[in-house]
Amino acid sequence: MALKLSTRPFWQARFSQNLPLSPSRIRGGGAVRHFSAEIASHPSNRVQIYISRSSDPYLNLSIEHFLLQKSGPDSVVLFLYTNRPCVVIGRNQNPWVEVNLGLINRPGVLALLRSEAAALRRRKSREWESEIDIGQGKNGESENGHDDDGVLLVRRRSGGGTVFHDAGNVNYSVICPPASFDRDKHAEMVVRALHRLGVRSTRVNERHDIVLDVSSTSSSSSSRSSSSSNKPDNTDGTSIKTFKISGSAYKLTRQRSLHHGTCLLSSPNLPFIGRFLRSPAAPYVKARGVESVRSAVRNVSRDPNHNKNDNDGCERREKITNTAFEDAVVAEFGAMYGNVDAEVVGPAEVAGVPEIEKGVAELKSLDWIYTQTPQFTFSTHATESDPRPRPALPPSLPPEFRAAMTVRHGQITEVGGTGLPESLTSTLLHEVDDWRSRTTSEPVGKWLNGLFGARGRPGEP
Amino acid sequence: MASIARCLRAARPSTISRLAQTPCVRSSNWQAPAARAFSVSPIRDIRKYTKDHEWIDLNADQTAGVIGISTYAAEELGDVVYVELPEEGKEMAAGDTLGAVESVKSAADINAPLACTVTAVNALLEEKPGTINQVPEDDSHGGGWIAKVSVGEQGNKDLEALMDLEEYKAFTGSDEH
Repeated sequence: MALKLSTRPFWQARFSQNLPLSPSRIRGGGAVRHFSAEIASHPSNRVQIYISRSSDPYLNLSIEHFLLQKSGPDSVVLFLYTNRPCVVIGRNQNPWVEVNLGLINRPGVLALLRSEAAALRRRKSREWESEIDIGQGKNGESENGHDDDGVLLVRRRSGGGTVFHDAGNVNYSVICPPASFDRDKHAEMVVRALHRLGVRSTRVNERHDIVLDVSSTSSSSSSRSSSSSNKPDNTDGTSIKTFKISGSAYKLTRQRSLHHGTCLLSSPNLPFIGRFLRSPAAPYVKARGVESVRSAVRNVSRDPNHNKNDNDGCERREKITNTAFEDAVVAEFGAMYGNVDAEVVGPAEVAGVPEIEKGVAELKSLDWIYTQTPQFTFSTHATESDPRPRPALPPSLPPEFRAAMTVRHGQITEVGGTGLPESLTSTLLHEVDDWRSRTTSEPVGKWLNGLFGARGRPGEP
Repeated sequence: MASIARCLRAARPSTISRLAQTPCVRSSNWQAPAARAFSVSPIRDIRKYTKDHEWIDLNADQTAGVIGISTYAAEELGDVVYVELPEEGKEMAAGDTLGAVESVKSAADINAPLACTVTAVNALLEEKPGTINQVPEDDSHGGGWIAKVSVGEQGNKDLEALMDLEEYKAFTGSDEH
């Protein structure tokens, strides 16, 4: 790759095409700076801040990657962006293990889940005569209409585990020289930003995540998550629950280091995240690569239905907006490296920049998303290398059904057992639209469609 | 640096294990170091390091080599959970991305120390990525090496820019890395 560290940043592409400047959502002073190669390489441009107004995760990750590769070797760059709903897996993860593909591939899945949840609440509120406002589901969503009801699948270039993004989640990214690489340094910066916003009980934990400690005086809680860590406090019977609000991931290249993270501010889809990140195929798959670590999550902004006995260390009752969070992070970044104006970037500003266009095409390609998956095996029954007890197979399957597959670079390289035809060998797993056409048994095909989230299911809604 | 002591230790089993595999054939070679006092090892004639913490071992005529990451880098990165290996036959210039290792949520590029062509990859790392933490500088079977390469004229020119062990030791001991 021999990083040729060009000091010609993408804003020049914009200026050279005489495109108009973006409406000034410029932060930190207001003046629009006119860039040139000279200024860009000048020591005074060692600190750069960009805020994206695109909600396209493929574009935002490609702008970020461009900044990682092209910003000056000594510069420090902050990039903030918010994506439309998407599940983002780490560089070396397995989408069939990490993601409920069948669920996220359903068109308009978020609208479906919302109406499902609303119906459930209506039923409950009748039962409990509670005053839960079922209209809450709409907040935090952008104006993009039906687009926002679908969920995209993204494989990022950095390491780590799978996360969910939507309009209530701001992503921060800091690019700096590798000599000053420290996994906690910029997570601490974000914690200071949250403190600045009045969210006092946040801290960086041992996994380099940002967590929120919530103390509760009653045993009941609005959270149904069983995996949150409960630490009973022996002084007055209060317990502290810890929730993850931000995860971290890193990418190190020869010349630069990148730390990016999420911050769950006010995701309206919080109740559905767990379902997106649970794959029905996971119990049958043993994968090389990186497995996600599950954590109980919550929004930074106080839930309107939050338990009055919980003290989440948040001094403000109103919602923390994405803009307020961005401003606070920009301020803390400025305090560390010096204040500069933030530049707004979006599709217009980066149009025609070949590296970014190439990056978007690569990230969107099924080859990147699926065939970059580290090798894995699928087996319906316990094996020597994967002795986990399996869930009982559906009674609709033939009683003698046994199947196994080895998948390398997303391609089936070996078929075992009795239940699957040898002809599957060399098939790309993500290209199987309907398993019923690839097996002799209708119930087997149906079951595998569900496990692997096969898309084309003719005759089914 | 403590890591340097370790890397010396890591280098030793490489020689021993190879000798152990072919004890009869190598027995005459084993006396060679005494005759060639300037050579550290009869197998690995040249070892160089990059500022990006890769190492490369070259044979005496500098046509073939083995690449890996240094003990210092392995310690800095923490537990390696996945290694992205290059494709065999891939041609690279010095500094090109050869592969990557993932550890503690970090995907870190491994770069080619010099111009070379990949002739073999260490498939063991796919199954046991932690080998990189245990024996990062071991170029033998079972070691944490990443790729075997062939080296041409350009690669030999690139070699000039690399550090020997003493220089690398000084480099990692300073703040510049």
